[in-house]
Amino acid sequence: MRLIRWRRAGMALAVTAWCTSGLLAQERDTTEIARLKAQIEAITREIEELKLGREVVARADTAQFGLGPAASKVYRAPEGVSLGGYGEVLYEHFRAAREDSQPSQRTNQLDALRLIAYLGYKFDDKFLFNSEIEFEHGSTGRGGEASIEFAYLDYRLSSRLGLRGGVLLVPMGLTNELHEPPTFLGTTRPLTEQVIVPSTWRESGLGVFGDLGDLAYRVYLINGLDAVGGGTSAASGFGGSGIRGGRQNAARALAEELAGVARLDYTGVLGLTVGGSAYLGNSGQNRTVTTTGGSVDLGARTLIWEGHLTYQWRGLDLRGLFAMATVDQAAALNVARSLTGAASVGERLRGWYAQAGYDVLRTTRVGHQLVPYLRYERVNTQDRVPTGFAANPANDRRIVSVGAAWRPIGNVALKVDYQFHHNEARTGISQLNANLSYLF
Amino acid sequence: MRICRTSSSAGALIATVWCLISAPLAAQARLTQEEALRLAFPLPATVERRTAFLTEDQLARARELAGPDVEVTSRVVTYYMGHACASSAPCGLSGPPLGVAYFERHRVRTLNEVLMFVVSPGGRITRVDILEFLEPPEYRASPRWLGQLLGRGLDDALSLKGSVVNLTGATLTSRAIVRASRRVLAVHQVVAPLATPRP
Repeated sequence: MRLIRWRRAGMALAVTAWCTSGLLAQERDTTEIARLKAQIEAITREIEELKLGREVVARADTAQFGLGPAASKVYRAPEGVSLGGYGEVLYEHFRAAREDSQPSQRTNQLDALRLIAYLGYKFDDKFLFNSEIEFEHGSTGRGGEASIEFAYLDYRLSSRLGLRGGVLLVPMGLTNELHEPPTFLGTTRPLTEQVIVPSTWRESGLGVFGDLGDLAYRVYLINGLDAVGGGTSAASGFGGSGIRGGRQNAARALAEELAGVARLDYTGVLGLTVGGSAYLGNSGQNRTVTTTGGSVDLGARTLIWEGHLTYQWRGLDLRGLFAMATVDQAAALNVARSLTGAASVGERLRGWYAQAGYDVLRTTRVGHQLVPYLRYERVNTQDRVPTGFAANPANDRRIVSVGAAWRPIGNVALKVDYQFHHNEARTGISQLNANLSYLF
Repeated sequence: MRICRTSSSAGALIATVWCLISAPLAAQARLTQEEALRLAFPLPATVERRTAFLTEDQLARARELAGPDVEVTSRVVTYYMGHACASSAPCGLSGPPLGVAYFERHRVRTLNEVLMFVVSPGGRITRVDILEFLEPPEYRASPRWLGQLLGRGLDDALSLKGSVVNLTGATLTSRAIVRASRRVLAVHQVVAPLATPRP
């Protein structure tokens, strides 16, 4: 009897021990799973923080994830230095004969046209420095040059208003501010944007900029052009072929005369930019000139204005620009520059172009772009000359460019085109161009 | 009378300047992840953080869906599900899904931007926010430009060769954002968060 009791007690004890050990093991497993889950959660948070950045993942002042009030932001000092650049190499193959069948006497050329280093620095969310340093034509020892293309300081008060000062790109035309070669069609910049809007055109000054909804504006006060040039000026002065020589390029620029420039762009329709800009200022730089009528203060007030349009839609790339410039006291300016006859500075300059391209690989799954394009351009830098002077018919030009741009990736372009050059003097020299360009 | 005119002109000038400088600094504005999620799923919605661990096959599938010029490299995908909540009382995660938010960091030119994409239960982009943009502000995509991504699903039209209009003067930005949107939608299809039971 006693033996039976002992047996029962022993069995009860064994069952209890077995049950207890099972429960304990289950509890250990649950604890272990919870611990592993917590570890995985911690690891994934670390991974997310590494991917997105500590500052983005940082929580605002809130106790409950994602749902509490975000009263303060945890912002770090932003990454300061920004680097970039672009460059282009241009091959030009000229026809042996001019339009009038005379020898062109032009030599084919392969030129490391530009290499640009972009350097920016963000001091904080309001102050920003931006610059481009340009090396042209391969070597300063072989006619090339190193220049500051722009170097300015921005102070943004709001998205609608910012202040800008330094060496500025004059905000005119389509190419002057956006001149990275892979971004536009054509192996060379349109002539209108070389001789009337003299791209790349930079001067020192200050101004305001901002966005007002669909309108973007820039208004600058800069040193004026120098229509005469020479002496201490870096400019070579205006000429019959345009006002490009009036640029002072922020190099010890004469600042006797300041100029104003304003630009407005409408971007309210996706893919469309339409706008215009105007520049007004005296280009005489406080000089006087002695003419047959006596001593004359040379104001040489210069007005340049242009209207432009770009439209990109489903592989289609359209752009057009019309520009006009007027120069007061052109006759006195001719005297100051010792220009006679058909070498006269134009009293009025006029140019325009229209261009269309289409990505023929758009409907394919290939990542490349192949964009055949056509550009038609008319330019006359002596559309009107002062009384007593003549216009050189060679300055009344018509250029038709036919070519294609291949972009294997967005940052690289190989462009080839043929430019038919005509002018009223029939001295135009057509050329085949190839341009390899990149940006990063 | 002249004083009145002068003072009213000065008042107009002050009002104009105030209007110009009081606008938010949208071009530089930054959001934390938490603030962006709250914008996407306002109270009383609840937000659930989940992580998916892709298999090699799933990663390959995501790459295939994203397209040839879009990199998909990470096998660890963290996403955030918003759940509707009918009452103002604390809600659990049982409400119907509002959408799924993904965060993306990528290089634009030489510096990075961080975006949040919200994908609807139907697999279409319903919201895009820029949390951080370190390039110069002129390269930043405008809200209008980002707006053209809304309502889009993962198809051939979602590309600069398709019906997405390029960002004039900021090609690299538009390219980076379109790639990011394709990557997010591809990963979303593979992970299928709305069909996946809660872990």
